[in-house]
Amino acid sequence: MSWAQAILLARGLSWGWGGICGAALTGAPFSQAPLWAPRGLHRSAIACNSDSWLVPPSPEPPKGPPKALAPHEELFTQALGGTRDKANFVRAVQNFGQHNVYKRGHVDFIYLALRKMREYGVERDLAVYNLLLDVFPKEVFRPRSIFQTMFIHYPRQQECGIAVLEQMESHGVMPNKETEFLLLQIFGRKSYPMLKFIRMKLWFSRFKNINPFPVPRDLPQDPVDLAKLGLRHMEPNLNATVTIYQMPSSKDSTGAADPTEPHIVGIQTPDQQAALAHHNPARPIFVEGPFSLWLRDKCVYYHILRADLLPPEEREVEEIPEEWNLYYPMQLDLDYGRSGWDDYEFDIHEVEEGPVFAICMAGAHDQATLAKWIQGLQETNPALAQIPVVFRLAGSTGELLGSSSGLEDPPPPPPEGQEEEEDNQQRQQQGQS
Amino acid sequence: MGVGVLFLRRALAARPSRAPVAFATSRRLLRTSPPSRAFAKQLFLGKIEKKEVFPFPEVSQDELNEINQFVGPLEKFFTEEVDSERIDREGKIPNETLEKLKNLGLFGMQVPEEYGGLGLSNTMYARLGEIIGLDGSIAVTLAAHQAIGLKGIILAGNKEQKAKYLPRLASGEHIAAFCLTEPTSGSDAASIKTRATLSEDKKHYILNGSKIWITNGGIANVFTVFAKTQVVDSDGSVKDKITALIVERDFGGVTNGKPEDKLGIRGSNTCEVHFENTKVPIENVLGEVGGGFKVAMNILNSGRFSMGSLVAGMLKKLIEMTAAYACTRKQFNKNLSEFGLIQEKFALMAQKTYVMESMAYLTAGMLDQPGFPDCSIEAAMVKVFSSEGAWQCVSEALQVLGGSGYMRDYPYERLLRDSRILLIFEGTNEILRMYIALTGLQHAGRILTTRINELKRGNVTTVIETVSQRLRDSLSRTVDLGLTGKLGAVHPSVADSANKLEENVYYFGRTVETLLLRFGKTIVEEQMVLKRVANILINLYGMTAVLSRASRSIRVGLRNHDHEVLLSPPTLGGRRQETEDLYCKSRKTWEKRPPGPDI
Repeated sequence: MSWAQAILLARGLSWGWGGICGAALTGAPFSQAPLWAPRGLHRSAIACNSDSWLVPPSPEPPKGPPKALAPHEELFTQALGGTRDKANFVRAVQNFGQHNVYKRGHVDFIYLALRKMREYGVERDLAVYNLLLDVFPKEVFRPRSIFQTMFIHYPRQQECGIAVLEQMESHGVMPNKETEFLLLQIFGRKSYPMLKFIRMKLWFSRFKNINPFPVPRDLPQDPVDLAKLGLRHMEPNLNATVTIYQMPSSKDSTGAADPTEPHIVGIQTPDQQAALAHHNPARPIFVEGPFSLWLRDKCVYYHILRADLLPPEEREVEEIPEEWNLYYPMQLDLDYGRSGWDDYEFDIHEVEEGPVFAICMAGAHDQATLAKWIQGLQETNPALAQIPVVFRLAGSTGELLGSSSGLEDPPPPPPEGQEEEEDNQQRQQQGQS
Repeated sequence: MGVGVLFLRRALAARPSRAPVAFATSRRLLRTSPPSRAFAKQLFLGKIEKKEVFPFPEVSQDELNEINQFVGPLEKFFTEEVDSERIDREGKIPNETLEKLKNLGLFGMQVPEEYGGLGLSNTMYARLGEIIGLDGSIAVTLAAHQAIGLKGIILAGNKEQKAKYLPRLASGEHIAAFCLTEPTSGSDAASIKTRATLSEDKKHYILNGSKIWITNGGIANVFTVFAKTQVVDSDGSVKDKITALIVERDFGGVTNGKPEDKLGIRGSNTCEVHFENTKVPIENVLGEVGGGFKVAMNILNSGRFSMGSLVAGMLKKLIEMTAAYACTRKQFNKNLSEFGLIQEKFALMAQKTYVMESMAYLTAGMLDQPGFPDCSIEAAMVKVFSSEGAWQCVSEALQVLGGSGYMRDYPYERLLRDSRILLIFEGTNEILRMYIALTGLQHAGRILTTRINELKRGNVTTVIETVSQRLRDSLSRTVDLGLTGKLGAVHPSVADSANKLEENVYYFGRTVETLLLRFGKTIVEEQMVLKRVANILINLYGMTAVLSRASRSIRVGLRNHDHEVLLSPPTLGGRRQETEDLYCKSRKTWEKRPPGPDI
């Protein structure tokens, strides 16, 4: 309890009036939703959702107590006979309105519905959110005097409204005019949900296209297609060619392909090919990985073919030949250039890295599979036959490896299925931005 | 009608005022005066080399008479016999036209008289260029033949080579072509793939490789070919260097592809030329073995100035035709020529033509001066200005003509297509801008070296000097470089413009200094800055040419000289802004980060 109060207090500091009032009103959830008391406390607080951005969710699924049904759960269980789709979800919401003329317990119902949305696959549907907001009775919660505005009018309902908006936000759903109209009808202009709405309107439009390398919303299910997408994502150069070195032997297995014939997809640019052709065969090159790459809520693993940085004495200095350009001088014969005080750069210590020659994604992360990749690469890079290749493989930590090579024991492929589940919640939010 | 006639008269009036100074070629060679300082390079130091450009080059009465002898029949031939429409449609210059051109001596205009050419001075060559420019295909064919094709033999050939090749080339019996461009090599000489290897008896070079986009490639008998050869350096190392070779078609192994289908200048013959084990006698090396790079550069640099008059001739004809249209076409009971927006277009065309004509003849006059003046920057400026002016003016003319400008039945769209190539060949304008700016900056940089080094080291006197100079610049803006005044070089009626020019030149000099101080040799990388420097220099040169020519016209009392006076301020007006702009910006960069693409 004291922990919960501490959170509320912290929230109060940042929210000023609202926070203090919220703290004063913590009793409210207890009375309305006794079953939910311990959980409802964090849930009902406005700050709780923003906390969940920082604190990783507990492994226990946030679906409510498994034994006792939440109020109005039966509305959804009725629909269970059918499929879990938008139509059934909408029917459940409409049923609530029909069975419950006085809309008793609508706040709990909305919270429940919000939790159910993912199951029904409607978490990105603006119309459904608007429908949910429509559950609120109209005009009742509108403050009628300045004092009501000051001391949050119907805080629990307002928090619930904010929760709806917040879920929209975390799924990247932009509210529309209808949302605004509903909020106006329910809470009035000077209310916290309205404030949230205005902020969403402001920031969503600014952040919508902020990612210069957008990932499509619906990722391909086929691992080969997914690998292609991931590789293209890492190597946006349009000159790069994606090569499928090996198709998975059995098409039907989606997640992890047959271990004997996993897929191998690689990408290489012409520049990388040229660099590999010029590589000194006396220096070994390394296959490293697996490194992880997150595409929305999916994690894929890739390997790179790279070399160490050349020591400074071996680097070739590019010099301008004397008779090069027929039309104008390529360099001026002057003994001064930009001088030291002409350097406006910050003093950054830059670590140069060795060249990367190719990237691949494979269904398995063992040496045998990757050797096939190298074999495939040799067809387009004949120089590779002369260069010793060292495999440095490790677990799926995603960190750069030390000098120890993992020649002896290829690490087991990362448990993709499980991890995906867990990371779903964590990544879904980061994938939004 | 008034406007059209006015422009026509002006165009005609311009003719007697162009003023060739023709020294016989042989006489010129005897002079041993030191090469004069080029005008453009001095501009980079903020100085005007008055002797070079004032007064406007004059031509003696004899030369004038001589030229007029050529001009009359040539003009008649071009207006009456050359069917440009047919040349364009068939993609070929008819043989009888070519024969007539040869009879007129047009294939050897600049070949010295002793080798059977006309031995024309640059000014006279420019004058004839005005007429030849009436047909783009013929102009390009002739230019490829003599401005670059056989120019190598004149510039770098020895006596035997000249005696062997020039007479037949001058008569047009043989046609020359210039083979430099390759699929992988445009302006990048290092990537030339054509190779000439010395045969075992050391008497021949075996030439292998192919060249693309060779004008006259299909009809030429003599090629100037640039190929890589192995050259032993002074320190014993073997290097690949470029060598220029004279290759005859009869040497064997020379084949050419089919003529390319082009956007404009469709009558000129452009095709691929392949050399397969062609045996070239060792006597046919142009210049030194391994010295081909310099030969190529010299040929390219010397061939450019003529484009100015070529374009001016074409534009004058175009203005004539457009004016005739604008003065007859009636809309709302008014002639087109009475509308302000149409008049503005004519003003632009007249101004551009006047400027490029002045620049072309000024440059030609400089080139004709005794000694071997290095006018390659000036020539490049003429090329850039005239090619862009041509594109702009033709486009404006089409605008005046409306729909008929767009129709194939009229000659205008052909002029548009023909003029597009001007911005591309003989060095693209972008590359020439780099050349203009960098060559000048190199000159200025060498001279300013000590001063800049002192500044960089923080020498107190120099710093104070510089600071006080800048202070003075910002307080008072009267610059006097001696163009105006009692003994000034320009006529008092254009004194205003001259003052502006002086101011511009002065601030341009300061800008160059600031830029050099700021970037030093790394300015090579700052192409956006270089472009602006080149633009300003081109404008300054144009202004100077116009002032010089207008002053002369007034003093000599040419007809319509008042129009010339009117033309000079607008020439200057817009340009001034640009110089000041860069000047301010270059001063700002002094305090701020190096510029992005903006400056």
